[in-house]
Amino acid sequence: MHRTVPSLPLAPSVKVKLINAGFQVASDLTDMRPLQLCKEAGISQEEAVEVLQMLRDDGQPHQQRAATESLTALDLLHQEQALGSIVTFCSALDNALGGGVPVGKTTEICGAPGVGKTQLCMQLAVDVQIPVCFGGLGGKALYIDTEGSFLVQRVVDMADAAVQHCTLLAEDTEQRQALEELTVEKILSNLFLVRCHDYVELLAEVYLLPDFISEHPEVRLVVIDSIAFPFRHDFEDLSQRTRLLNGLAQQLIQLATQHSLAVVLTNQMTTRVSNGQSKLVPALGESWGHAATQRLILHWEGLRRLASLYKSPSQMEATIQYQITVQGFRDAPEEPRPTSSSSAVSSPSENHSKRPRMEDLS
Amino acid sequence: MASKKLRRTGVSAELCERLKRHQLETCQDVLSTTPVELMRLAGLSHPAALDLLQLLSKACAPAVSSAWDLWRKKGELCFSTSLPALDRLLRGGLPRGALTEVTGPSGCGKTQLCIMLSVLATLPRSMGGLDSGVIFIDTESAFSAERLVEMAQARFPEFFSVKERLLEMASRVHLFRELTCQDVLNRLEHLEEDIIACRAGLVILDSVASVVRKEFDTSLPGNLTFRSNLLGQEAGVLKYLSQAFCIPVVLTNQITTHVSEKVHCAQWNQADVSKEEDSGFVTAALGNTWSHSVNTRLIVQYEDTERRQIVIAKSPVAPFAMLSYTVQKEGIRLEGNENPESVLNQGTDPGLQPIRFNSQCRPLSEDNDV
Repeated sequence: MHRTVPSLPLAPSVKVKLINAGFQVASDLTDMRPLQLCKEAGISQEEAVEVLQMLRDDGQPHQQRAATESLTALDLLHQEQALGSIVTFCSALDNALGGGVPVGKTTEICGAPGVGKTQLCMQLAVDVQIPVCFGGLGGKALYIDTEGSFLVQRVVDMADAAVQHCTLLAEDTEQRQALEELTVEKILSNLFLVRCHDYVELLAEVYLLPDFISEHPEVRLVVIDSIAFPFRHDFEDLSQRTRLLNGLAQQLIQLATQHSLAVVLTNQMTTRVSNGQSKLVPALGESWGHAATQRLILHWEGLRRLASLYKSPSQMEATIQYQITVQGFRDAPEEPRPTSSSSAVSSPSENHSKRPRMEDLS
Repeated sequence: MASKKLRRTGVSAELCERLKRHQLETCQDVLSTTPVELMRLAGLSHPAALDLLQLLSKACAPAVSSAWDLWRKKGELCFSTSLPALDRLLRGGLPRGALTEVTGPSGCGKTQLCIMLSVLATLPRSMGGLDSGVIFIDTESAFSAERLVEMAQARFPEFFSVKERLLEMASRVHLFRELTCQDVLNRLEHLEEDIIACRAGLVILDSVASVVRKEFDTSLPGNLTFRSNLLGQEAGVLKYLSQAFCIPVVLTNQITTHVSEKVHCAQWNQADVSKEEDSGFVTAALGNTWSHSVNTRLIVQYEDTERRQIVIAKSPVAPFAMLSYTVQKEGIRLEGNENPESVLNQGTDPGLQPIRFNSQCRPLSEDNDV
């Protein structure tokens, strides 16, 4: 190992003492014994043991770890196909996303006020619970609400509509059995809810998420609605905000990949004035644009609601129309006029479950 | 809570001292640093810094509940407005635990609606009220106690025929007159104690816009951001209070002229559209960020000389809808809604929803700033 001493994850005071004693590279330390190190470097015995243990853990297995951690693209393809995605019940949007909101990635939903971000999040929190035999993931959801827009009456409507939808589709005994357990009460019980009032509570909640997911391994969706509100008014030091947001984004991506869940964040829009023209752009700054894997922008065009897939590693850019009905997030009614460039031309959705995809009956 | 002091969270005294030297005294201070910064400031190894962050997170993180827990307390989700069609659309009434904004031109009925809600909140639960006090923060000196009493007597004549009940109702409405931004902020800082002291079940701020627009000239650089931050702070405090006490918070806003191209609007018939100037239209004030901050936006506007309309422009539960009403002695009365014009499944940006002001009958007194 050729790591230098300053780059080791040790306390700064310990590092300073090691460097002063002449240890520059990690390999200088590997053959030392604790008492010898303690005398030469002037650190305490416990610190010496900690240093040597840390080196031992990092050293030997490093070579082996390097070998096992490299994946082939083929392995990754199998993994991604097995992960699945969460339907939105709007088939146009599902097609544009390649099946739905992907598991194992972070998706950001930006939009003007009132356009339907919270509605989409609530719909996803219901849809993730659709049983596997119906083409869903049969998982639970965690909804982190920072705005107070989560009103449970609406979720009840959506849950009701989802159950009825599945009832109409049930064909064989397995599906009928699963349907018996799929009640509005169960859907609501499997929807965990946390209300965060400021950015500190949000950060604290995200630090605790790995433990929470370990205790509830069936959770397949984490929604943060919205990530913008707590970060938009409490900060004078914008560079601190950027650092915290980057840390947050990293933690969420790690969570998504390690625990195979979908992370959905909502963002607000802000007005940017350039050349006398004012435009609505996603809030939280330029660097935040790189944080999420996929970015969906919901916007109004006159009276219509449109969703644009703005950034995605695997899908084409597309704009589709949707609407919010009593039952939730749905396709817009068919209209004769063409909407945009590449609407539903993207790849046909992958069939990840054993049952055929549900047709949208709205 | 974020302001919890470190020594109360189980962090060793020696570590607390080390952190104090770098001005890190509360959970908020420490959690606002990244792990690498914390390593440097506190002299900890990386795993130890992460452990410290975990410990503090456990101390501040809010509790996890489930949607089912919320749904079981069905009776506590909404505050009925006593207007059946509106309650039906809002799935029960104004949400408790969220901010509701009422915006519109002057003279349309915003303060009347606030006074009506004040009466309703003091009613016993059997009559659809909250049986609680009301905190009314008045920045325009528009609140009239006589109107409160007149409305109560006209709306619930049998109940308020007993004079004691009328007096009791009036004594439950606590009025705070605040005339500057700083006063409003100070009042909000101490609102938690006031809510407990007054046993308030409803908080009304009439209006958010007037103090802010008086004091911030948004043509000056930097003022717009400062104003946005101030409003964001107010929204944050009010959301926390409304959720902690499970009470509805009602705010009123004003209108402003939005200078841009004509916006297509389904509910106005063609004759109206052609009359509008091409240079702009009137919409809710305080900007786009404020439109994000409120959870529900109700717009009151003029329909014709007699009638007004209440428009549900933004709501997590209700579709875009319009109801006609008039202002009477007993407050707001919904009428003329036999053929509901509710344009379901449509709507437009609640920050850009054009508002009809009746310029022929009433002179516009708003300034033309955002």
